[in-house]
Amino acid sequence: MSATNTRGVDRRQFLNLVGGSAAIPCLLSAGSARAAGLSGKITMIKGPHSADEAKYEAEIIDDFKKANPNADVEFTTYDWANMNAQLTAGFASGSPADVEYLVDLVYPAYAERGLLQDMTALVDDPSWKSERDAIQPFAWELAKSSKGTWGVPVLGAVYNIFVNLDLLNAAGVADTWNRSYADMMAAAKATTKGDTFGFSMRTRVSDYAFWDWFPYIHNAGADILNKDWTANGLAGAEDAMQFLIDMHKAKVTPPVGSIDWQGQFDLFKAGKIAIYHGETPEINDLLAAPPPFKWDVAYAPPGPKAQTVMGNFGILSIAVASKNKDLAWAFIKHWASGPEVGRFASEVNLQVVRTDIVGQLYRDKPPMQKIQKEFVPRVKGVQPHPKILTMLQQIWPVAESAYLGNLTGKEAIGQMGDIINKLAA
Amino acid sequence: MEAATSPSHLTEEEHRRQRFWARARHNLTAYAFLAPILLFFLVFMALPVVWLFYLSFQHDGILAPARFAGLDNWRRTFSDALVLKCIGNTLYYCVLAIPTVFVLGMIVALSLQVVRRGAALLRIVIYFPTLQASLVVALIWTFMVHPDFGLLNLGIRALTGMRINFLGDPHFAMPTIAMIEVWKGLGFWAILFLSGLLALPKDLYQAAELDGAGPIRRFFSLTLPLMKPTFYFAVIFATIVNLQLFDSVFVLTDGGPVNSTATIAWYIYRSLFTFSDPGFGATLSFVLVILVVALTALQTWLLRERVR
Repeated sequence: MSATNTRGVDRRQFLNLVGGSAAIPCLLSAGSARAAGLSGKITMIKGPHSADEAKYEAEIIDDFKKANPNADVEFTTYDWANMNAQLTAGFASGSPADVEYLVDLVYPAYAERGLLQDMTALVDDPSWKSERDAIQPFAWELAKSSKGTWGVPVLGAVYNIFVNLDLLNAAGVADTWNRSYADMMAAAKATTKGDTFGFSMRTRVSDYAFWDWFPYIHNAGADILNKDWTANGLAGAEDAMQFLIDMHKAKVTPPVGSIDWQGQFDLFKAGKIAIYHGETPEINDLLAAPPPFKWDVAYAPPGPKAQTVMGNFGILSIAVASKNKDLAWAFIKHWASGPEVGRFASEVNLQVVRTDIVGQLYRDKPPMQKIQKEFVPRVKGVQPHPKILTMLQQIWPVAESAYLGNLTGKEAIGQMGDIINKLAA
Repeated sequence: MEAATSPSHLTEEEHRRQRFWARARHNLTAYAFLAPILLFFLVFMALPVVWLFYLSFQHDGILAPARFAGLDNWRRTFSDALVLKCIGNTLYYCVLAIPTVFVLGMIVALSLQVVRRGAALLRIVIYFPTLQASLVVALIWTFMVHPDFGLLNLGIRALTGMRINFLGDPHFAMPTIAMIEVWKGLGFWAILFLSGLLALPKDLYQAAELDGAGPIRRFFSLTLPLMKPTFYFAVIFATIVNLQLFDSVFVLTDGGPVNSTATIAWYIYRSLFTFSDPGFGATLSFVLVILVVALTALQTWLLRERVR
């Protein structure tokens, strides 16, 4: 507001004027200041990807300060469960963090309200071309809308399947178990015995269960919205939905909603689930405390139209309210650079979206390397519509009802489509 | 001289003036003492309510400039099936939780009344769950109702061979939330009822005992009628608190499964912070206010005569 207020001088402008007059002598030596790099202090906010997040961020910030001794970055975190509330409070305060790590589910709502800087000109700067080209096109698509580019994609988590190879082998299941839905169902049935389940996926909205549902929908050629985002795009996903319903009806999974995501992972680690829908950071747990069985990572079976992998990616954005956008952009470029993002990703076991560092990452962690090299290129993420999170939250009770056996795949997709249509209108 | 200034020699006009200034001084002193809390009430209660009411006629207004919405949010409130579901769930929860916690609280209070040795320790133990953070309570109960190793399910499985999907089955989820809230609130209500019981006149009980009234007769003919003022406060307070159920729903089920635990307070939170729809969230907040006021008024009307 103060930037466009021409009727008077507000407090901020007054302070700037006072500061400005005091700074006149300093301007005389501006050349030398520029030579010393950028100056000032900015804040960055991000959800933690590790208990040691602050330590890892400090490494990045220290490297940045070596090149910019007059600059400082204060790092703060939001917690994932209350991410929306905390980010909203920050933006509503008028002084949000300068650099915001935002995931693809939430940033569109902030971008639509004009709270994020359109970074198109910055990322298209010819001097940054090689860096921009190092980031995969699918990741850029997740950071863009028709109105601008809202951040630089840096990291992501892939939602993969973990398989207990010992359970599959003991049940005589061939390694072709994920060639088709029928093969997967047969494998799940063969491995379900006593208190051991053949298959598990998240079903609760509080666990973001839609991540596990997405590959089946995408593989059917469907998506939440159609191509021009005017209505739902779920047509064609009926059979995939029916397959997931059938998996639950076949009692090869824990009862719907009975065990949360962490509980399912604990059961997998205990050797009680054969085919488990999880997330790549869990690889770290399995490598740190190896379970007493052989395991591997895998895709969901291919659908009639594709074989995709779901991924959830984060971008580094600049708040419109930032008072030091130059420094914020410089820090984002530094954070997103190969050495920095590569080191951070290795520390927290996340996927990078840069192609130029893939070969150097996870040499000592074959499952992570497999994810990075084979899975990431297949990623089809969410459509960054401003209401995408609302849509997913609101359709999920329909999916829960279907998993409980109250709806057929066709009915569920129909009801979900109606909800999305209302929100997209 | 003294007689000239005596109040009895003041004119009617002087009397009136002195009375006015005395009353004014009295009132000003009262307002001066009340000023801090009035200011607090104005800034943190009245103004937000007015602001909320204003927001209910706007789109946005928090993250983006407010745009006048007319009655859109109010129309949407009454046409949104989830709003009705949330109201129904909230009332269902109140019906489950309030009578249960009152009956159990009263039983515990009566038991505590007769305990002689270790009474203080017992009161602390019973009050302890009330002091726990909602998150801690939710985590404790997550383990209690776990289908595999939860204590409740282990017992049920031992007796029936079946296990109950407490939080995953739409039929059980809200009763489970109610059970957890009852456990958490039991200590508070038991201590409240105990304080009411201890304040009852002993001579009436002695007279009743001499007249041959047994414990059950004494409870129904003396204790319950004499406790009505306590119950009056308890019913209204419990209704106001329970209509705002949020913590355990947010932590344990997030409104699921199939919206079976979606409450009004949960939907307000979702509208404000997940759906970025402050106008609709503000309208829902007012619906909650209306519901609380209406139910409180109804209870006051129903209970007032009986309490008298």
